[in-house]
Amino acid sequence: MLNNKEYLNKIFQSNKPLIIYKTIGGYDVYTDFKEKITLNSKNFKNFLNKKTLQLKSPIKELNCYIGFFGFQLLCENIKIKIPKQQSLNFYPGLVYKPQTIIKIRKNIVIKSLLKNFRQIQTSKYENKHFYQKKFNLNLDESKYSNLFKHFSKKIQLGETYQIKICQTYSNKSKIDAVDFFWKLMSINESPESFLIRDKDYSIVSCSPETLIEKKKDVIITKPIAGTLNRTKKMTTKFANNFFKKNEKESKEHNMIVDMERNDLSRICKTGTVKINKLKTVEQYRDLYHYVTEIKGKLKKHITNHDIISAMMPGGSVIGCPKINTIKLLNGREKLNRNIYTGSFGYINTNGDMRFNIIIRSILNYKKRAEISAASGVVIDSKPKREYKENYIKAKSLLDLFKT
Amino acid sequence: MIYVIDHEDSFTYNLVHLLEGFAPTYVSNYYDINWRQLEKSKIIIFSPGPGNPSNYPETQKVYNKYKGKKKIIGICLGFQQILYAENAHIVPQKKIYHGYQSRVKALKESTLFKPNKVFLAGRYHSLKLKEPFNSLSLKITMRCVESNVAMAIEDTINNVYGFQFHPDSFLTVDGKFLIQKVLQF
Repeated sequence: MLNNKEYLNKIFQSNKPLIIYKTIGGYDVYTDFKEKITLNSKNFKNFLNKKTLQLKSPIKELNCYIGFFGFQLLCENIKIKIPKQQSLNFYPGLVYKPQTIIKIRKNIVIKSLLKNFRQIQTSKYENKHFYQKKFNLNLDESKYSNLFKHFSKKIQLGETYQIKICQTYSNKSKIDAVDFFWKLMSINESPESFLIRDKDYSIVSCSPETLIEKKKDVIITKPIAGTLNRTKKMTTKFANNFFKKNEKESKEHNMIVDMERNDLSRICKTGTVKINKLKTVEQYRDLYHYVTEIKGKLKKHITNHDIISAMMPGGSVIGCPKINTIKLLNGREKLNRNIYTGSFGYINTNGDMRFNIIIRSILNYKKRAEISAASGVVIDSKPKREYKENYIKAKSLLDLFKT
Repeated sequence: MIYVIDHEDSFTYNLVHLLEGFAPTYVSNYYDINWRQLEKSKIIIFSPGPGNPSNYPETQKVYNKYKGKKKIIGICLGFQQILYAENAHIVPQKKIYHGYQSRVKALKESTLFKPNKVFLAGRYHSLKLKEPFNSLSLKITMRCVESNVAMAIEDTINNVYGFQFHPDSFLTVDGKFLIQKVLQF
């Protein structure tokens, strides 16, 4: 019989579908999926409001659906149509119902609804992984600059106040997702990191951004706006000063704070939306982020679908105001965002949920790996700096392909 | 009852959140106005939003129909919509204020606020009122301390009010007080 650690290693080395989600003090691994639902704009509402309430598992942690909602699905959900784009025809959204959870903390704890969960069928699984070092970029610097100028005009006309231009790196690869994930965690562990490995695709992400953390009737969101390239000598104190003194970063951040207050105000009781922690600095391997925490108490009779519709897609990665800015982006983005700026997380039967914003991620599907990054154009932005910021954001992921 | 016409802004519900503290508040999109509900409301509020006042003919209709009959309050774009309906020119300004905190000062023309009282105000606008602007009843009652740009209007005859800045922003220090004043007057 395998002990917990051997069992865990065995599933990592197999091709068994699994999900890993970073949590405080460790990681949760979900597997033995009983059900898998492909979401689309037709079944989305029903899934959120009905399907998630029907679960009845004796193990609390397994009383959930876990998975992702793609960007297009989230736009369609708030009645914004995406025009025809170049697309991989990837899943609009997928959720899984797990039957086993493995908690990696100081010790490894396993809870399962299956009696014989340790007996994994390891079909002779051949390691057919390969990856390229080089990436193609969909927008080079001159194309990026042109788009930048176009959107700067829109800002002057008041059509948007801030807009995030997205760039996508792609190459031909079929990665060993679990291996990539742990490598990424060793250099850049971030609070919303996750992995999904299924038979035909994988996602590896070191997302730093929490969009929804809901327990009972309390909901918290932690928008990020403001990025500083981190050098070896830099300290958090230095970063703090930089953000405080930098008018452009401050204004960009202010806008996002007001926008997230707005989104929470749609679903929260009057007078309960409060800023918990304003403008704190978080440190990562290659960069610093400027973060604010906002909290509210939900109104009575608010459904899961109401919450998701008010909060998603997360505003901090689109710009402001949300709807008009998405429309402006849609008019110009030629490539489908797929998972990028969508959300990953879980909903529990009791209504508790946790969702991130999918950024800093690799999507590997049909032997193609793609990494997207975006940064904000506000009136004082410089195209060169924002172009570089996108690279900094993608860097720790791109580096994984070099080793 | 307060009726808020939402110009699909990402700040409208900050305003609604404040308003609900004073009276029941009904919100609809600018392209989806519930005229029966509007008729029943005592106060109509034009929300902030993207673009230019000329992009929203429905809101202009509402203004022309209810000016002098119901209290009308405009915030940011809503402020400009009122001025636009009063034949003002709304023009781009050199310096753009998105996410900006400014000091704004009440003028002696104000009946709501003490003259010379200074407020810290959050701003989100790239367009402004072109001056000189003349109106018999509509008075400019606050200005930006630095740039002198018009920041509030009051028309006590027709019961029309507006702020170019956002009382709903976390950058505005006395937002609740400002809203309370303009609602209760």
